[in-house]
Amino acid sequence: MSAAQIRLATLVRREVSRFMKIKRQTVGAPLLETFLYISVFGAALGTRINTLHGFEYVVFVIPGLIMMAWAINAFSNNSSSILQQKFQRAIDDQLSSPASPTELLLAFTAGGFLRGMLVGILTFIAASFLVDLPVAEPLILIPGLFLTGFFFAQLGVLVGVRAEQFDDVSFAQTFVLQPLIFLGGVFYSATLLPEPFETLTQFNPIYYMISLIRYGFLGYQETNIALSLLFLALVTGALFLFNLKLFRSGNKLRV
Amino acid sequence: MHALDIEGLTKRYPTGVEALRDVSLHIGDGALFGLLGPNGAGKSTLIHCSTGLAVPTAGEIRIFGHDAIDDYTEARTAVGLAPQELNIDFFLTVEETLDFHGGYFGMPKRERRDRAKELLETFSLTEKKDERTRTLSGGMKRRLILARALMHRPRLLILDEPTAGVDVELRLELWHYVQQVNTEGTTILLTTHYLEEAEQLCDHIAFINQGQIVAEGTSGELSARFGVSSLEDAYLELVGRKELSRARVEEIVL
Repeated sequence: MSAAQIRLATLVRREVSRFMKIKRQTVGAPLLETFLYISVFGAALGTRINTLHGFEYVVFVIPGLIMMAWAINAFSNNSSSILQQKFQRAIDDQLSSPASPTELLLAFTAGGFLRGMLVGILTFIAASFLVDLPVAEPLILIPGLFLTGFFFAQLGVLVGVRAEQFDDVSFAQTFVLQPLIFLGGVFYSATLLPEPFETLTQFNPIYYMISLIRYGFLGYQETNIALSLLFLALVTGALFLFNLKLFRSGNKLRV
Repeated sequence: MHALDIEGLTKRYPTGVEALRDVSLHIGDGALFGLLGPNGAGKSTLIHCSTGLAVPTAGEIRIFGHDAIDDYTEARTAVGLAPQELNIDFFLTVEETLDFHGGYFGMPKRERRDRAKELLETFSLTEKKDERTRTLSGGMKRRLILARALMHRPRLLILDEPTAGVDVELRLELWHYVQQVNTEGTTILLTTHYLEEAEQLCDHIAFINQGQIVAEGTSGELSARFGVSSLEDAYLELVGRKELSRARVEEIVL
């Protein structure tokens, strides 16, 4: 391995080691939360709703829950990891090392991405025991999930770098991210909403991500899939470049 | 070739505060160089600029000939930093702290393992190697920070107030390590408030005040320049507090 490869591998290992050392909080808790959603909406509410677009209600909801688990964990891992290290100034050990801005950004991104993926996969496995969950379009599902995970990992990095206190991270997650996810159609189909809410949902970017993942699992199409994928790829790429610029300039990292 | 060449370094913070003003400093390879000055003089800012933790506003920094900005990979590889703050990652164990640091500097696994073992023994941390860093005492954290700075065998070791807040025994122990490392060929730049130690340890000293290097030389040269008998008195002259000189205080007490 070259020195650069060792650096990157170590930086990623540090991020994974952080969330694995507190796995009850970082993996166990979100898994339980998602499982509770499935139980409540599947067992309790699901019995009252026959089918939604030809699918059992709980089956319709699970793709959105998997996407939500991946997204929120990718985001919160990176935002809190970076902010914690900034507070302790432990991040100085990495910033004063020969690691390049690209290596640092990729490593922080990987930490959240991998935690989100772990929770997402465990949710999928757990859900598969409870219901018969199809995977209709794997060629859309896999890039869709990867791009979504990468996007939210980038968003977590951005908030972690810019945040000055834990309240900033909490605000972004509670008042921006979660409402957008919940109102993006995790628990319902936007086509069932009355106007103007159906139209308003079209302006929520997360609606397209959920539709993409739902299409990957169920084959049910509510938005233009090709355009959604292209849009997600472009936005994720732009966010990556923006974060790279922040790392290169040292914004809020180096004084 | 110098270990550290600083030319015309200026650092202005976004708040408008100018922490460094056109600073030039040259530290020879193998030197044990002391940078002294009152709080807020610009010592830590100079160190941060040299190690990539702060972005200089103007000027040039070269570490063993490598530009600290354009050629940062080579420049930072040559530097080990033991900062003033106990900036240890609380999620890691003592051994992991050293292992991860070595990894950040591109050291292969076996080399990291051997070097970490050696440093854990040197700094009497072997028994604590599997403990989380947050459980360590202040003195042990200070040892770990020095061990971490030495992990990748830097050619230039920068110590920012390494004995701040440690007991006498550990302070003497740390100075012993510092001298030993310097004898083995590592260049050392240190800042300290213990002037008598700087006087004993450092072969060259610079005074920094209000963001500028105001005097530089050996301890004897600096004392002579200010017309006093000790480095401490020279320092007090520099900061305009010569009434605090031990000789003056003794006169008043008697």
